[in-house]
Amino acid sequence: MYNDIIAEHFMNPRNIGELEHPDERISIGNPICGDTIHLGVAFKDGRIADMKYKAYGCATSIATVSVFSEFAIGKSVSEIRKTSSEDMEAMLGELEPNQMHCLDILSELFQSLGTVKEV
Amino acid sequence: MSTYSTILKSGSELGLDPVGMIIASAKPVFRLEPGAQNEIKLQLIQESFAYHYKHNELYRKVCGEKQVAPDDIRELRDVARIPLIEISKFKDVNAHLLLTMPITELQHELRSTGTSGIPSISRRDEQSLTRSVHSIYAMFREMFGFFGGGAVFLAPSAEDMPEMGLVKLINMFSGLLDSSKFFVHDSSFDPGEVLDQLEKWKHVHTRHIIGPPFLVERLAAAAAERETKVLLDRQTRIITLGGWKSFTGREIDRFEFYKATAEVFGVREDQVRDMFGLVETNFMAVECGEHAKHVPPWVYFSIRDLDDPEREVEPGEPGRLAVYDPSSLAYPGFIMTEDLVYLDKEPCACGRHGQTVNYMYRIKGAEVGCCAINLEKYMSDKEARVTQCPIG
Repeated sequence: MYNDIIAEHFMNPRNIGELEHPDERISIGNPICGDTIHLGVAFKDGRIADMKYKAYGCATSIATVSVFSEFAIGKSVSEIRKTSSEDMEAMLGELEPNQMHCLDILSELFQSLGTVKEV
Repeated sequence: MSTYSTILKSGSELGLDPVGMIIASAKPVFRLEPGAQNEIKLQLIQESFAYHYKHNELYRKVCGEKQVAPDDIRELRDVARIPLIEISKFKDVNAHLLLTMPITELQHELRSTGTSGIPSISRRDEQSLTRSVHSIYAMFREMFGFFGGGAVFLAPSAEDMPEMGLVKLINMFSGLLDSSKFFVHDSSFDPGEVLDQLEKWKHVHTRHIIGPPFLVERLAAAAAERETKVLLDRQTRIITLGGWKSFTGREIDRFEFYKATAEVFGVREDQVRDMFGLVETNFMAVECGEHAKHVPPWVYFSIRDLDDPEREVEPGEPGRLAVYDPSSLAYPGFIMTEDLVYLDKEPCACGRHGQTVNYMYRIKGAEVGCCAINLEKYMSDKEARVTQCPIG
């Protein structure tokens, strides 16, 4: 049911937690199914220096934020903007049909962070 | 060692599933004397505890802190010593730590969402899922007896919300019926449409209504307004699940509901039944015709003192519900709920033995929440958006 990327990130989620003073806060979620993500981002010298999140939902959605955080830390907002949808798909590996909504979550995370004014 | 324990142990040694054996024998096991039933429960819970103790590192650590090990559980009264998982942990960011099985063994995730919007997710492996399916069908067959008819499901369809516990459960009824239809679309509910469907099925199917109390109540109100009454059948079942309290705090009076609903649809009160379950467990406690909610004979309900949660209270006394469900392998099925209940003191007149439970309400401070409440809130928010008028 879970590919190796999802299984590994769900069992060992990276960057989980809460930033005390984030420069940006991003929240995304679905009011019915309840997949909810609260993300805090800290910038330094024009790059994403740190990112912490709290994620609630299915294993794949939790793994998705973990994958995203690992990818985003160290990058600039313009690099985040340049990420193609093919790259995003590759980041999560092959998903089951009922996990495909997590690609939308990932895309929304990229979009939300991509619209942040560069610090 | 009793005959039952011997059989279960031998079955287990031969590679048979002891929990599955008991679930498949729900009817006779329900009618065993309480002592025999309790021996079976004890045996299954002992084995389940030993399994999680052995394979779940975090849980074993908790057991160590509480100074309890499988060898300490010798009688049913010892079961209350088995450490419990707080139900809120299923919402936790670190819920993966609850797992006894590796994620690669998991096959399904089921969710329930309360008013906070944070879902409670329970993850199941192949065998827990199989036990869960058998357990629910065993209870449906035992308590409702049907294997045919047509049902209106007052809920969103499984296609719309496949992982929602309430929907998944209601959808399981389909396999026992000849026809069924969901009637909540895009968070909207039209009782007239349901009543028309029930009319269409007249003389075609034995008609059943299944859904949360707040929607059955709306349906009954609409039916009462109709000039031509919708009178249902001799074998009709009107089945509710999802709780009696609204997100607004209003509570539907269960017994008045039974009376009013039976009257509107021209059925007997014993045809209107309620069920209680949690997405984190693999069973439903279902009402018999006496309106007693029977706990499956493989599950143990331990009712705890609100001030001293280590202490079990006597039947008749209200307390916090702790569930010991031996069918769970993916995570320990020993769960401290946020529900206030009491057990009946007297055996049920229906002839089944074992625990019967009365749900009261959520404990103070707990989130008011389940699939039904979230659904009601979402529908209500949508209705408010549709009906609101611009000011000025």
